[in-house]
Amino acid sequence: MSSVEYIGIGKSFGAVEVMRDISFKIEDHQFVVLLGPSGCGKTTLLRMTAGLETISAGDLMIGGEKVNGVHPRDRDIAMVFQNYALYPTMSVFDNIAFSLQVAKKPKAEIRKKVEWAAEILNLTDYLKRYPKELSGGQRQRVAMGRAMVRDTGVFLFDEPLSNLDAKLRAHMRIEIRQLHNRLKATTVYVTHDQIEAMTMADVIVLMHKGAIVQMGTPDEIYERPNSIYVAGFIGSPAMNFIEGTIDARGGAPSFEAPGVSIALPANSTARPGQPVTLGVRPNDLAIAEEGPIRGTVILSETTGQDVQLHVDVDGRDTIVVVPRAERQAPGKPLSLTVAPEAVHLFDRQSEARIA
Amino acid sequence: MTTSDLVRRRVVSDHPLPWLMPLIAILVVFTIFPLVYNIWLSFHEFVPRRRALEWVGGRNWAQLWADTRFWQSLTVTFIYFGIALAVELVLGMAIALLLDADEPGFGFLRGILTMTLVIPPAIAGMMYLLMEDPQFGVISYVLKAIGLLSPATPILATTQYALAGVLLAEIWQWTPFMVLILLAGLRALPSEPYEAAMIDGASPWQTFWRLTMPMMSKVIAIAVLIRGIDLFRVFDYVFVMTSGGPGTATYTLSLYAWQQTFSFVKWGYGATLSLVMLLIVLIIANVFIKVAKVRW
Repeated sequence: MSSVEYIGIGKSFGAVEVMRDISFKIEDHQFVVLLGPSGCGKTTLLRMTAGLETISAGDLMIGGEKVNGVHPRDRDIAMVFQNYALYPTMSVFDNIAFSLQVAKKPKAEIRKKVEWAAEILNLTDYLKRYPKELSGGQRQRVAMGRAMVRDTGVFLFDEPLSNLDAKLRAHMRIEIRQLHNRLKATTVYVTHDQIEAMTMADVIVLMHKGAIVQMGTPDEIYERPNSIYVAGFIGSPAMNFIEGTIDARGGAPSFEAPGVSIALPANSTARPGQPVTLGVRPNDLAIAEEGPIRGTVILSETTGQDVQLHVDVDGRDTIVVVPRAERQAPGKPLSLTVAPEAVHLFDRQSEARIA
Repeated sequence: MTTSDLVRRRVVSDHPLPWLMPLIAILVVFTIFPLVYNIWLSFHEFVPRRRALEWVGGRNWAQLWADTRFWQSLTVTFIYFGIALAVELVLGMAIALLLDADEPGFGFLRGILTMTLVIPPAIAGMMYLLMEDPQFGVISYVLKAIGLLSPATPILATTQYALAGVLLAEIWQWTPFMVLILLAGLRALPSEPYEAAMIDGASPWQTFWRLTMPMMSKVIAIAVLIRGIDLFRVFDYVFVMTSGGPGTATYTLSLYAWQQTFSFVKWGYGATLSLVMLLIVLIIANVFIKVAKVRW
């Protein structure tokens, strides 16, 4: 059993507190992605999990046991580093075999395990090479092989794909996820790339300024972001935000802002007169004859399949993703519509989700 | 035409020779001429009664084989070279590992460690000559106090201890040099492999032998090379502390060459001995460069 549980974890460097009260649990076999912008503390949290960084407050449990002061080698973890951290003076074989060699395992067993990992990772032909003779993707795989042969319950990945080009990254993403499905190790994966998080994670833990802002499945986080921060962070192109107020005249509640008037679902909990921010994803907006949002096209960007229209709605740049056939010329007045259930409402003061 | 144009025209040349001339001149005057003159000298000998150099053919070179003094001094040189290099390397590495830390105060420690290097070796030799004095030397006193040395034993005048006494000064002064080079290498090592090794479960001992030493091999090789070449021509300490004695216990090759040249006015034989030293250093250094795969 290799669950990982964080109980009120905090981290300070001297007098500077960079993280506090992190509490969540990763179940056995789960693939959890720690997501957040640089400096949010996700790598520090991972390094604390590995034992490379001391824990200033709280308890870290791995497999049900408190491991705060336990040496990294005794934590039942394997880690893949951002810069691979391969041993430069050792061959690929020795790099992968190192943990078994220092544990004084029998030679035959070491060979078998290394060959097993090399087979899975397509490294069989490269075992005699040295790290400097490998490409970025191959080095990445050696780093993974090194983690695989350790037979541990928990895999830690620290932005493992950030040094690869886009195509290779997409490929390795699939490989890592397949490897996880095959080995079934509990995985903690740190990234700042939301595509990686959305495609790979069972659960995403979104961090900001040393705290967790939302935790949930990729669908939950995408569909029901609990704050303006989460809503703006997840999704590309980013969600459009319009500041306005709630109006309840005529019975049904509606969102009102200059150039915008959107009817809200009847069960909305927003109070009349409350200052709110309305969020709507660029894909949820559509061009209509008579819509609640009016503006003028400023710019049209083709991304391939779709076109991103930048629409000026009362001075705000609002992005709409439409099929290529609906491309619009700049300067054209436009009317947009949105389905009531695709609208996200946030309190403007607390920035928390209302409905 | 402005002044700068004039200046520019005077210093512009497409041919490399004018640019190389200063360096060539320095090389010729200070390296090539002395070397060629030394080789020429080794086939001559100074004859005092005629006050002139006379051609002697290969006699100086042939004389080497039968010269027991030469073989003795060569043996002493090799012992001195071997022990000093080994101790300085091991000790230097140990101290460098201890000083490789970022805690406050370590920068200061690294700084004061290099202070021995500002003392001229001859002065360091005189310091140790005094400290090893049987009457009032502090080292003699301590060694006697802890029972390692019987009272009234003059370290530098006792055949068994004299070389060790000289080596003490040598090692004290030059270990920091080793530390300096090795520390620079250690400070430049990447930290990630060490973190990976921690997770992989390597003990500090395993980490040192399987990570640090291989990653440091080039730096170690260069340190050994520089120090080794320097050690082979040891002169100052021996000259100041023992003048080669007692007997031939500390009589090194450089001292022998010096004595032949300047005390016995055997310029030809002195030149031959110094050329032998040069040849030995060249051969050892080149074999070492090949074996240790040091690339420049």
